[in-house]
Amino acid sequence: MCHHRIYQTALILPGYILLLLLLNGCASYSQTHHSIQQSLFNHNPARALEQLEKNSHSNNDLFLYHADKAILLRMLGRYKESNIEIEHAKKIIKKFSASSIIEEGAAFFINDSTRVYIGSPVEQVMLHIYAALNYLELKQTDSARVEILQVDTRLRSFMQSDPDSPFSFDPFARYLSGIIYEDLGEWSDAMIAYRKAYEAYLAHQELYHIEIPGQLKESLILMADMVGLKTERKKYEKMFKLKFTDLNAAQDKQSELIFTFHNGLAPIKKEHSMQMLAPATGRFVRISLPAYYERNNRISKLRIKIRDKDHYSTTTELTENIGYLAIKTLEDHLPAITARALARAVAKDKIAKDSGEKNQLFGLLVNIAGVATERADTRSWLTLPDEIQTARLNIPHGKHTLAIELLNDNNQIVSQKRIENIQIDKNKKLYLSFHWAANGIEHGLIKQH
Amino acid sequence: MKNISRQFISVFFTTLILAACGTQVSRVDVEEKHDLSGAWNDTDSRLVSEEMITDMLGRPWYRTHSKAHKTVPTVIVGTIRNLSHEHINLNTFVADIERAMINSGKIDFVASSQERSEIRDERKDQDLHATESSRKAMGQERGADYMLKGSINTIIDVDGSTQLRYYQVDLNLISLKNNRKVWLGQKKIKKVIKNSKLRF
Repeated sequence: MCHHRIYQTALILPGYILLLLLLNGCASYSQTHHSIQQSLFNHNPARALEQLEKNSHSNNDLFLYHADKAILLRMLGRYKESNIEIEHAKKIIKKFSASSIIEEGAAFFINDSTRVYIGSPVEQVMLHIYAALNYLELKQTDSARVEILQVDTRLRSFMQSDPDSPFSFDPFARYLSGIIYEDLGEWSDAMIAYRKAYEAYLAHQELYHIEIPGQLKESLILMADMVGLKTERKKYEKMFKLKFTDLNAAQDKQSELIFTFHNGLAPIKKEHSMQMLAPATGRFVRISLPAYYERNNRISKLRIKIRDKDHYSTTTELTENIGYLAIKTLEDHLPAITARALARAVAKDKIAKDSGEKNQLFGLLVNIAGVATERADTRSWLTLPDEIQTARLNIPHGKHTLAIELLNDNNQIVSQKRIENIQIDKNKKLYLSFHWAANGIEHGLIKQH
Repeated sequence: MKNISRQFISVFFTTLILAACGTQVSRVDVEEKHDLSGAWNDTDSRLVSEEMITDMLGRPWYRTHSKAHKTVPTVIVGTIRNLSHEHINLNTFVADIERAMINSGKIDFVASSQERSEIRDERKDQDLHATESSRKAMGQERGADYMLKGSINTIIDVDGSTQLRYYQVDLNLISLKNNRKVWLGQKKIKKVIKNSKLRF
C-alpha cells in the first residue's frame, strides 16, 4: 500500500512539473509585449526596439515582429528600414494566406495561436498605409503611389470575399490615395479617390465613430473645380456650406504641409477564461477567449502652428479610427472563435475522460495538458496607434519652425513640441508625422456590442 | 580496418545530413526564364528593353534623321516612371535599355544628367591638377538630339486565388530641338498567377 502511494507520487510530481512548464511556455502573446509597451509609454521607442529585437519570436508570429519593428523604426525616423520590414511582413501574408491542413489540425487540438499570423484585414491595410507614409517622408512619391495601388488591390479582394464587410472600404486609404494622386498632378484619379473616401466616410460614419473630415470636404471642392466638374463643385459647396473662392484664395500659390498624427496605442487583446457547459456532453469545460482592453493614452488632438510674416495654424482631424476597427474585427470573429474553442475543449475533455478510464493517472496528465494548452489567441499588431489624425496647412515656401501643441478634450495644452528647420519647396507638398504613445493607463474592458 | 570503415560511414552520413540541411544554391544561365512570384523580374526587364529598342531603331524617324544630319542620332535616357502595382527596380531596367541601345551600334549615347555632373566635377579637377596634354577642356560635350522617356503601368484583376497581371511599358522618343515625339513604343506582358488555396 505504502509502496503504491510512493509510486503514485513519483508519477504525479512530473505531471505537475509538466503543467508548470507548459503554463510557463504558453504565456499569451500580448503578455510578452509588456516591456515594449512600457518603453513606449516612457517616450522611448529606441529602447522598445531593443526589447523587440531581444525578445524571442515564434515563427508563427513573424508578421507581428516585422510589423512592430516597422512602426518603431518609423518612430525613430528610419523610414527606409521601416519599409524593408513592411516588405517582409507583406511576404508573410502572401506565403501563408492559403490555409494549412497541419496548422488547422494543431489549432483544433492545441489552440488558435498555433496558426501562422498574417494580420487582420485592418492590419494588412495599415501595412500599405505606413509604407506609403514612409515613402512620402522620403520624398519618393512614385513609390508611395505603388503602395496605394497595392492597397486598392487588397481592398478589392476583401470586397470580393465579403462584400458587406466594413473593412473593404477604408476611408483613410482612399483619402491618402487622393492626396498622393493630387501631389503627382493626376487630377482625375485624385477626384475619384476623394469621392471614394467621401462615400466610405459617409457609409461608415456610425461604425468608425468618425466625422467626415473638413479637409476632405475642401479637397472635394478644389479638385472638382480643377477637373472642370462645375456642377459637382457647386453641389459640394452647397452641401458643406463652403465657398470655393475662399478656399482657392487660401490655397493660391502656396506650398502645403501634410501632417499625420499617430495618436495613442491600439487596444490590446487579453485572455478571458470561463467555464462553459458543453451542450454535446453535458460536462463543464474551460475555454479561453480574447477580449480587447483600451490603452487609454491618446490625447484629443494637435494644433500645428507656423510663424512667418503671418500666422499659419490648424488642428488635426480624426481620419482613421484603428482601435475601433480592431474591436469590430474581433466582434465579427468572436462567434467563430467561441465555437472553435468549445469544440476543442469538448474534444480535449473526451480524450482525458477516455484516458482516465484506462489509467487514472494518465487521464489526469492528459487533462492537465489539455487545460494548460488552452490559451486564447491574443495576437495583434500592438505598436499600431489607436487613431490617425491628419492636418493640411497651406504655407509659404522656405524654411520654417513648426510648433506642435498637444491638446486635451477641453482644448488645453498638455504638452508642446517644436520641429526646427523644416524646408518646404515652392508649390510642393511636404509630409511630416508625429507619434504619441506616452503616459498610458490601462483601464476597463471595452464592451462588446 | 573495421574502425576506418565505420569512421568513413559516419563521416559520409554526417556530410549527407549537413548537405540536406544547408542552403542550396545552383547557378543558372541569365537567359533562362524563371518565374517565381509572378512579379516583374529580370527576364521581363531584358526582353522588353531588347524588343523595344529593336523596334525603335527600325522606324522611319531613324532614316529621316540620318538623311538630314548625315550622323547617327544622339540619345539620352530621361525619366522612366514606375506607375505599376509593384516596386520595380528601374535602375536595372534603364541599364538594360542603355545596353540594348549601345550594343545596336546605331546610336550615339550621352551620359545622364546625374552622371554628367560627376564627369564635370572631374573635368574641373583636371583643370587644376592634370598636365596640359592630358587635360580635357570644358564646353566640348556632345548634346543629345533626343530624349527617351517612359513609364511602366499595370492593370491587375483578381478573382479568388487567380490573378491576372497586365503590364504595359510605354517609351517615347522626344526631339530635344522641337519637342516632337518621333517614336512611341509599347510592349505588353500578360501573366496569369494561380495561388494555391492549401498548403502544408
